[in-house]
Amino acid sequence: MDTIFWILSAITVIGAVLAISLRNLIHCVLSLILFFLGIAGHYFLLRADFLGAVQILIYIGAVAVLMLFAIMLTRHVTGDEGPREVLGGKWWAGMGTAIIIAGLLWAIVRKDALAQALPTGVAATSVAEIGKVLVTDWVVPFEAMAVLLTAALIGAVVIALEEIIRKR
Amino acid sequence: MDHAEYLQHLARQQWLIPLFPLVAAAIQSLLKRPARKLSAALTIITMGLSCILAVRALLATISGPEGIHHEVIRTVFNFTWFKFSDTSSLDLGFILDPLTAGMAMMVAFVGFWIFVNATGYMHDDENFTRFFCFLSLFAASMLGLVISNNLLLLFMCWELVGLCSYLLIGFWYFKPSAAAAMKKAFITTRIGDVGFFLGILMLYWKSGTLLLYTHDPLHPGALEQVGALAQLSGWWGLSVASTVAFLLFIGAMGKSAQFPLHVWLPDAMEGPTPVSALIHAATMVAAGVFMVGRMYPLFTAEPNAWVMDFVMWIGCFTAVFSATIAVAQFDIKRVLAYSTCSQLGYMVMALGAGSLAAGQFHLLTHAFFKALLFLGAGCVIIGTHHEQDMRRMGGLRKYMPITCICYVIGMLALSGFPLTAGFFSKDEILLATFHRNKLAWGLGTFAAFLTALYMTRQIFMVFFGRWRGGDEDPGHGHGDKAHEDHRHHEPHEVPWNMWLPIAVLSVFALFMGWLGTPWYGGNLFQQYLAPEEVASVHSDLVLWLSIGVGLLGIVLGWAIYGRKTMEHATDEDPLSTAMSGLFTFLNRKWYIDELYEVTVFRFTAACAMFCRLFDKLVVDGVLHAITWGAWAISQIFRWVGDEFFINGGFDSGCESVRLGGKVLAKLQSGRVQNYFRVLTLGAAILLLVYFFT
Amino acid sequence: MSIPLGHYLMLSAFLFAIGLCGALSRKNAIIVLIGIEIMFNAGILNLVAFWHYKYFTTLTAQMFAIFAISIAAAESAVGLALVIAIYRFYRSVDVDEITSLKG
Repeated sequence: MDTIFWILSAITVIGAVLAISLRNLIHCVLSLILFFLGIAGHYFLLRADFLGAVQILIYIGAVAVLMLFAIMLTRHVTGDEGPREVLGGKWWAGMGTAIIIAGLLWAIVRKDALAQALPTGVAATSVAEIGKVLVTDWVVPFEAMAVLLTAALIGAVVIALEEIIRKR
Repeated sequence: MDHAEYLQHLARQQWLIPLFPLVAAAIQSLLKRPARKLSAALTIITMGLSCILAVRALLATISGPEGIHHEVIRTVFNFTWFKFSDTSSLDLGFILDPLTAGMAMMVAFVGFWIFVNATGYMHDDENFTRFFCFLSLFAASMLGLVISNNLLLLFMCWELVGLCSYLLIGFWYFKPSAAAAMKKAFITTRIGDVGFFLGILMLYWKSGTLLLYTHDPLHPGALEQVGALAQLSGWWGLSVASTVAFLLFIGAMGKSAQFPLHVWLPDAMEGPTPVSALIHAATMVAAGVFMVGRMYPLFTAEPNAWVMDFVMWIGCFTAVFSATIAVAQFDIKRVLAYSTCSQLGYMVMALGAGSLAAGQFHLLTHAFFKALLFLGAGCVIIGTHHEQDMRRMGGLRKYMPITCICYVIGMLALSGFPLTAGFFSKDEILLATFHRNKLAWGLGTFAAFLTALYMTRQIFMVFFGRWRGGDEDPGHGHGDKAHEDHRHHEPHEVPWNMWLPIAVLSVFALFMGWLGTPWYGGNLFQQYLAPEEVASVHSDLVLWLSIGVGLLGIVLGWAIYGRKTMEHATDEDPLSTAMSGLFTFLNRKWYIDELYEVTVFRFTAACAMFCRLFDKLVVDGVLHAITWGAWAISQIFRWVGDEFFINGGFDSGCESVRLGGKVLAKLQSGRVQNYFRVLTLGAAILLLVYFFT
Repeated sequence: MSIPLGHYLMLSAFLFAIGLCGALSRKNAIIVLIGIEIMFNAGILNLVAFWHYKYFTTLTAQMFAIFAISIAAAESAVGLALVIAIYRFYRSVDVDEITSLKG
């Protein structure tokens, strides 16, 4: 079982790294999809089945496709700048990330007890339970989420639609 | 009451004599003008009242215990004016003695007739009321002067008469010549007053009082301390008494127009003729002589001092000097002015020769006949419609007979014609001088000759011959230019209020001399006035010589001017053709005025210029330096404090804020990714800080 | 399995850093959004890891994660719509060129 963890981690990391460093935007999105898949796998490994499924459905099914559409709609940009331009801000980015990683890692390592914790038990979660909780204990966030999604939908449509309205 | 008490009673009332004219002056100064009849009436009536009081005082001093007195009768009344402390105070006083009584009577009487004449002379003038107001003020001041027992009070009245002289000389102040003359008179007498005041100060310092007589052995008056004062030593090798006398005489020189301070008297003829008669013939110029007479004990205290000689020689020189000038003048009043100067010289010479009685007697007689002559000249001027140049007169005896007769009487008196008043008084003077210094007596006799000469010349030029008033002008005359058209009218006699005074005065001019004759067992006047003096020993030489020169002068005058009178106004004076250079020199008054112009005036102007430059450069310079310093300090404060620190600080503060803002604004690049980077950086730092502390 | 919690935490930290790196350093706005997505996912992974190891008795973490994923999706939708709108105006998706809020 451990090896699955390391394989999945490798996939995830490679996917992330490629997603931010490839020159071609489509390739970026595709590697992002790979990343999402890796994350989903981690979720399954952590016995959060529903979450894994949701991850695949939403992220890969919706967000990544959406990104592809956005890329296609903004395709006119000639050549993705890639590494040359990246160098400029990379310094900033590198520094920042290094510090943050160091900080976080140090924070993790400091709390030894927690870091060494092993799973105490394996809890199985069922979709039915999630569904039941969703409409009883978590009904308010659920409804709020519904409103948010509606607003986001309408908003995105409005923002992206502006030009067509003007043309008329 | 007995006589002494009566005298005391009168002495206490002496102040009434000047009071009446003073009240008149006060009322007249407040009157709405014109108020001609009222003001003239006030002046004349008050003067009459003063005259009555003066006569009463005079009679009191004459009457009394019978017999010849060996000490002069003198009564004083002193009172405290204000106290400085318990021990010292300023006392004033009035005196009643023969000198005062004689002077008061003369001033009041002559003044009265002059005022009557003035109503006619100023008849056409529009400033009538102001004139009589000034005349009253003058009368009050002069009378105050003669009754004063305190040197300070005398000085105050002295200055007042000087003021009135100033006001009256420049009565027609709109004429520039009159304005210049009034200033000249005042300033010249002021120069003399410097000496007078120094004398007063010294007297007060050394004797401790300014009262002249107190009749109190504990607190003696200044003149009663003369013995002690003669022992103290003063300045210039003199005793204190003589020093004070000398200083006081300087004041008298100014007021009585002695050389070299005589220059104001001829110019004073710019004033109306009654003013000339009253002030510059009879009274004010006599004040100097009177003051010397009043302070005479100081002069005679030290017999060997040079003060008396100085006085005598000044008087002698002035007498001769003015007489020579009078011979060559053409203005009727100028001749009389120089004649006054000369006669004052005689009086001063008499005082210097040691005879108070002679000098004072001549003062009294001179007042009468000189006033007579001036009033007569005034009548002539009015009669010829304001003509004053003698070359344009002539033959006036046909037109103005009364004036002519009176004027001739005056001329005879002045020339010392035998048996007139002038003869006796002048003879007394020459006698006294003869015993003192032969040279001075000789010069005095020469001056008497000249006096007769110029007066005869004047008589013939004015009253005899042909009337030349219709001729053309021989030169710029001194008459009123506005009346030029009138000059072609024939002259006329003057009204009664003008010839009556001169008639009265001519009576006195004829008969007053009898008081001073040596025939009634001694000189009456001298016994009355100064019994302590020794009467001069009679000298036949002096007597016959003075008669002789007087007659010689008259005869010479007739010979030159009477036998062949001037035909035309433009004719040359016979003396001028004979000795033209000398004549011009005399006519131009020995060029004294020009000399003063070149020396004194230039020096004064230079001093004034120096002072002006000093003021401008030093005083203003210091002022400018101070203000410049203040300005510079303020500029420094402005630059350093205000500009540099405050403004600069503020500006640089604002500038730094602006620059800071500009720098900080660069952070607002508008690029979201940059914001994100900065955000990350901040989070990283926070994390570092959190995890490492 | 015997993977300690620490490993998951380090993994999520790595992924977060990678996502941050990408968001800060790329010029293209879409890649910035991709980086943000990566960061989101790393965070949620962290959450779920904690759930698995310590709080597995409740469903709180799962609900949290579900909602987080929904919000992330909505946010990426709106963000991409904005990118499209910006692209229409500026004719590019270069973040360095969108500077109208400068100053």
